[in-house]
Amino acid sequence: MTDQAVLQFGLAVLRAATPLAFCALGVLLAERAGVLNIAVEGMMLCGSLAAVLTAVLTQNAWLGVVAAVVVGAVTGLVLGALVVLLPADQVVSGIAFNITAQGLTSFIYKITVIRGVQLIGPATLISLAGPAARGNFLASISPLTYVALVLTCLAWVFLFRTGPGLLWRSLGESARASHASGMNVRRARMAVLVLSGVLCALGGASLTLAWVRSFTDNITMGRGFIALAAVYFGRWNPLLAVLSCLLFGAGEALAFRAQALGSGINPFYYLMLPYVLTLLAVGLMGRAVGPKEAGKPYLGG
Amino acid sequence: MTRLLRKLMPRGGQVDPAFALTVGLTIVASILALWICTAFAGASVTQVLSTMIEGALGRRNAVLATFAEFAPIALCGLGVLIPYRAGFFNIGTQGQLEVGALAAITVVLTLGGSPWVTLPLAFLAACAAGMAASVIPIVLKLRRGASEVTTTIMLNFTCVLLVYAMITGPLKDPSAFYGATPPVPAPFRLAAVPAGGPHLGVWIALAALLVFEVILNRTVFGTQVRAVGYNRQAALLAGVRVDRVTILAVVGGAAMAGLAGSIQVLGVTYRVAETWSKGWGFTGISVALLGGGPVGVLIVSAIFAILETGARSMQALTGVPAALVYLLQGIPVLVYLAVRSSRLGARKAAPVETGSGSEGSSSQARAGGCRMEGAE
Repeated sequence: MTDQAVLQFGLAVLRAATPLAFCALGVLLAERAGVLNIAVEGMMLCGSLAAVLTAVLTQNAWLGVVAAVVVGAVTGLVLGALVVLLPADQVVSGIAFNITAQGLTSFIYKITVIRGVQLIGPATLISLAGPAARGNFLASISPLTYVALVLTCLAWVFLFRTGPGLLWRSLGESARASHASGMNVRRARMAVLVLSGVLCALGGASLTLAWVRSFTDNITMGRGFIALAAVYFGRWNPLLAVLSCLLFGAGEALAFRAQALGSGINPFYYLMLPYVLTLLAVGLMGRAVGPKEAGKPYLGG
Repeated sequence: MTRLLRKLMPRGGQVDPAFALTVGLTIVASILALWICTAFAGASVTQVLSTMIEGALGRRNAVLATFAEFAPIALCGLGVLIPYRAGFFNIGTQGQLEVGALAAITVVLTLGGSPWVTLPLAFLAACAAGMAASVIPIVLKLRRGASEVTTTIMLNFTCVLLVYAMITGPLKDPSAFYGATPPVPAPFRLAAVPAGGPHLGVWIALAALLVFEVILNRTVFGTQVRAVGYNRQAALLAGVRVDRVTILAVVGGAAMAGLAGSIQVLGVTYRVAETWSKGWGFTGISVALLGGGPVGVLIVSAIFAILETGARSMQALTGVPAALVYLLQGIPVLVYLAVRSSRLGARKAAPVETGSGSEGSSSQARAGGCRMEGAE
């Protein structure tokens, strides 16, 4: 491979990994606070549509990001109302949320198509320096990728090196203990889910604004679940989870490459990588490492 | 009809007000969602509903299409329902369906011979493939304590991608431009029974619903499954072989999902191709949650099938996108969950929190008061 090819491949990996990284952070922070976020796929879909639709209508990619943040917060509130306030079962709610979100985004997308809106987003967020960046690796990376990397480091520092981070993790280990220490468990988990929704929606936005610049039915194609896999594979540690996202993103980039070049290995085997690796990891480590109470509804006062 | 309704109610034959409220609110919310969406799309509700029902039940072919759509949804509903009764949330039905379909078509294409011998073998192979796809989650859950939610989601994608790898690789039809198996030869396509009626697979699905209605509600095994799902520890103390019952329930469900794949490929699509399958496996999850039992699965699957087939003509005639159907499949589940989990719809006091972490993963499926019907 020439230098140029290596550079292009590196960029492809980062493009594929960025949406995963946002979503993985969202899922990880929620699970650390004791809420399973299976709805990540649906939140991502909502974010990706909101982002590209707003960006197209206003011709401003950053406004698209803002729209994704707002929509993500709303999805977090909806899921939180279900799994924190009522509380309904987290897995079932997540799955129902995903089905509904897929229907809703697809419905809105079809209506925009019928009304003749051309869903091709502006290219602002594809790379840091725009077309001028050609050949310069760091300047060719999307600003959203930088945001994701910074957020990853912040999340790690916050969770493992600060007081509030310790409280956050305690919420996922024992909600009762957190309650006893004076925390309002429900309010805290609602806040966590809003943040998680925003991050997942940003993942969707980075898919449609910094990569494909368009929207189609079910454009996320299970990427939310890859992010979920990255969290498990990365043992609920932000740094490791995002490293897993890079690994899985590389698998995706390799699959596209294999498809384009027609190499000997079937591209679908590369796409299988995240799932098989995660199954292996889950099989090897069992339940011991995750937050103890992730998935358990909090029923106390 | 009254007997059917009574069956849906809890024991004693009296209508539980909380249950009636839940169903009522779910229906009201669905209609409200339908109304908002159609208004947004600039059509009238009555027109949308009438074209939908007309398109699903109006003509003979439409009814047949609805029947054909009903079968895989109902079987996948069973695929989720049976394990759920035992406290195992099988989200892997879509993957199980896909490997089942691939196994069935592989048997038909390689064996040939008389349909009377080969078709039963193909169905068995499909069941076996579905079961095989559920082995890893079972083992990881029982031996390593890993949540089946994670593992079945991962296996879904693994199975689907494996099927894609096969149909673009070793099993690819050389004459096809895209990834697809060769078509099922004419003698192996499921016949209409009676002539001009629904295809054989629909009857198989109905039979499966009947069989599991009996097994789950009228046999010792069915009671054991419920006991395990309701309280694993208590079942263990009562002498139920908990692991064995769990394994049988999960494997039985996965077999039904695999069977769904085989009847779909042998009865409707006639080949496995890239994106050949709709999300029947995922629809099965909603169906199982709303249905609560085999009879409920039958009713909800029928409704969902009508929505699916009706949506096509609705889109053509009124311009309302067919994606409306997914909204109408998701929203009822959300509302149903919400009402069931709130005080309004709670049949009993909030469930006691399960013992201190000893059953973390298995209690997930039932925690929070949203149990399946009949789990008492």
